[in-house]
Amino acid sequence: MSDVLSKTEEIVKKAKALGADEVIARTTFGRYRQARFSNNQVDITVAWNDYVTDVNLAWKKRIVATQIHNFQDVDASIKRLLELAKVSKENPLFGGFAKGSFRYARSNADKKLQDPTEYVFEAIGAAEKEVGSQIDSGGILFTKFEDVYLVSSEGPVGADSRSAIELSIRAFSEREASGHGVECNSTLKDFKPSRAGSKAGEIAKLAKNPKIGEEGIYDVVFDPLIFGSLFGVWGSMVSAFSILIQQSVFVNRLGQKVAPENVTLKDNPSAYSMASRIFDDEGVPTRENVFIDHGVLKTYLHNTSTAKIFKTETTANAGLVAPNAWSIEMDSGDMRREELFKQVKRGLYLTNTWYTRFQNYAKGDFSTIPRDGIFLIDHGEIQQSLKDLRISDNALSLLGNIAGISKERQHVHWWGEADPPSLSPYVLIKDVHITKSK
Amino acid sequence: MEEDVVDYTLEYAKSKKVEYAEVRAQSQVQERLILRSGILEAYLSAVDSGFCVRVIANGGIGFASTNKWTKEEAKEIVDLAFKYAKAANRKDKIRFAEEKGIETKWTVNQKEKIENVSPEEKISKFVEIDKSLASCGVNITATVTSCSTDLTSKYYVNSEGSRISSFVPKIDVFVFITVAEQGKTEQAYEQFGYSGGWEAFHEWNATEKMIHNAKVLKDVITKGKAVKPGIIDLICGSEVTGIAAHESCGHPMEADRILGREMSQAGRSFIFKGGPYWIGTRIGSDAVTVVDDPSIEHSYGYYAYDDEGVKARRRYLYKNGLINEFLHNRETAAKLGTKSNASSRAINYDREAIVRMANTFVLPGEMSEEELIEDVKSGVYMKSFTEWNIDDKRFNQRYVGREAYLIENGELKHPVARPVIETTTPKFWTAVDAASKNVKFDSATCGKGDPGQGVPVYTGGPCIRLRGVYVK
Repeated sequence: MSDVLSKTEEIVKKAKALGADEVIARTTFGRYRQARFSNNQVDITVAWNDYVTDVNLAWKKRIVATQIHNFQDVDASIKRLLELAKVSKENPLFGGFAKGSFRYARSNADKKLQDPTEYVFEAIGAAEKEVGSQIDSGGILFTKFEDVYLVSSEGPVGADSRSAIELSIRAFSEREASGHGVECNSTLKDFKPSRAGSKAGEIAKLAKNPKIGEEGIYDVVFDPLIFGSLFGVWGSMVSAFSILIQQSVFVNRLGQKVAPENVTLKDNPSAYSMASRIFDDEGVPTRENVFIDHGVLKTYLHNTSTAKIFKTETTANAGLVAPNAWSIEMDSGDMRREELFKQVKRGLYLTNTWYTRFQNYAKGDFSTIPRDGIFLIDHGEIQQSLKDLRISDNALSLLGNIAGISKERQHVHWWGEADPPSLSPYVLIKDVHITKSK
Repeated sequence: MEEDVVDYTLEYAKSKKVEYAEVRAQSQVQERLILRSGILEAYLSAVDSGFCVRVIANGGIGFASTNKWTKEEAKEIVDLAFKYAKAANRKDKIRFAEEKGIETKWTVNQKEKIENVSPEEKISKFVEIDKSLASCGVNITATVTSCSTDLTSKYYVNSEGSRISSFVPKIDVFVFITVAEQGKTEQAYEQFGYSGGWEAFHEWNATEKMIHNAKVLKDVITKGKAVKPGIIDLICGSEVTGIAAHESCGHPMEADRILGREMSQAGRSFIFKGGPYWIGTRIGSDAVTVVDDPSIEHSYGYYAYDDEGVKARRRYLYKNGLINEFLHNRETAAKLGTKSNASSRAINYDREAIVRMANTFVLPGEMSEEELIEDVKSGVYMKSFTEWNIDDKRFNQRYVGREAYLIENGELKHPVARPVIETTTPKFWTAVDAASKNVKFDSATCGKGDPGQGVPVYTGGPCIRLRGVYVK
């Protein structure tokens, strides 16, 4: 057992000795690096070193938490935490922390992910090849390396190393013509920043001379990046906590058809994903959870407590209060990207979006604003670059109107908009409501 | 907070070949509680403390932070920041607009100290809110309530002689409700924020406000009618005025956006050099003056000095309908040949300070609310909003009403269900013909930066009247 794991275990033992019923301590040594660039130059390069132990403690169903930044502070911190628990209020629905001892998969973190700047210019160069010397580009290169040690009084003990690299580039060919590309991975294997640059550049080139689009109901081809934003919506809504607080269109829909037969969605923080992890925050081994299986809503995502409320098992998506989706995957479809476009007589191709906001999460009414390339499709071909349009629709309707899924998929993540990371195809959705300013 | 480590870090940074160096330390005593439908889910109590160094070397910027308070760690982060700054190898070198070094201390006072309010008392207050909501006569099917208190101490030093200490207590409360009536649901949330002590909790009347919201949602379900789409007058309540001021004035006036530094995330601005809009261009009617002011005492966005040590002051963004003054930090000010107006903020020691708003609001006019309404023949009074958004150039925006009423011949009629204004920034502000006397504020958390930095702000203003806008 490593020194850090021993010290983490010591925290749990001390808390138990002081009277805690259940304790989880998770120590993270994180090293994060990020280069931010704009106007084709690096604006700032940032390094964060973060050392923290998160302690979650239950005493007579009172749940309290703290963070310890220095192992010398342990005794006082735990004592204070237990005192806090004793004056706190019971959560009758607390179902305990996960019990058992588990075998975990091997971590596959990449320790070489240290210096963030080297790939930035590769991506800019690739975008410039498409756009030409007038290119204006910005973005980030981010790397993460975390050593995580978890000890639970209920059995789980584990160590994980988690790494990630992300290159995000937005390229402008004109003031109002831009494209966005991303390249994400858990390791350097198959990480090609030029792929992100080329995609951003290709879209930016196509997006030149945009006209203001027209309101209406369109069949829309969604690029993997914008579809990643929709995964963020559905992924959040499938958390059991969102169900409990009614911030979801999936309330009371388990076992029901919510999408066409060709739609299978799962949460899977597997080896390739930026969010790869071998256990959740309770120490339960993570796994693939199919939550929409051939169009049928199969499960919500759970921690131990929410699972007990719903009379099921944890899906290893624990956060302390709310279960989270880690990394979403959509099963591939049966069409090539080009074939998908050919299905569209007159429609749109959307490449990115931001600012998704709901009127009512339970009903699902929302709007979001496409950005970067927006294109009019005519008989399967991109005909015109457009701008200034908004999707004003419903989260359940969009899911239900999926009409085609591409064979190709891309691992995408972008800022807080396409989050959590996902493995996302091109998707055709029928009858999407588009509005604009008047 | 170990000030000797901070001072050591600055001295070590200055020993490198740097054009500029600063060290910013922050210690935050945090308490958070979350309740779901009256049940306490968890209570978090923690102290987060660390420091960062930012240097300019060879015209590039490097930044590094740590939460390990040792001199060895300090050296490591300075070395990293210095290495990164030099590696930027920029063609156009970054420099900061000039400022004199300042030595000062500032604090925000508390009438009722947050640290003297026990966890039991905090919990019981929010359980009471939930009980009141449960018995208010509206079928509320879910509530989520969270309360955060932060006692933030900062210590800032730079190579130009600045040495600034500060202490700011803040309290933030968020309540979200779902109302179900006649098989339909409506939802609303309210955020309350304050710089100061627990006295804020008594002044907010959070329970009454949430009960009001619940009744409004019930009315929307049971009595609300859709508006007939068309060109009508629209009166925006202070909440709607405030979000519009924030989204379509405050954000596009951030100089880092204008210069493109946020292009890949929060986006750019419809204002840019050589474009149709610049300082002096008309963007609204004479009735429109929008300011951003960090110096409002006890406001949620309050600060006396920004995170680059520049003294805070009111900024006139749109003045009598003209684009007037951008929000600047020292980097953007140097690029545009001006001085910083103290708009540099960071949410924690591990984030770079970037250009941010503080409290953005429309200045009042001279009319009463009643006078604004009585001169409307056909219109809608949108008191508050639910869904909203704006594009990344801050030009095309949409606000969907939560509490809204039809106006006919100068009188308020029945509730209107989810009226929508979807329009451009110049159309919105040019349509304003009058504003009421009273300014009200709402608390919000403004998002920007990568990684995201949610900073506390006020949005606000009077009621404003828009003539002849398309509402659907």
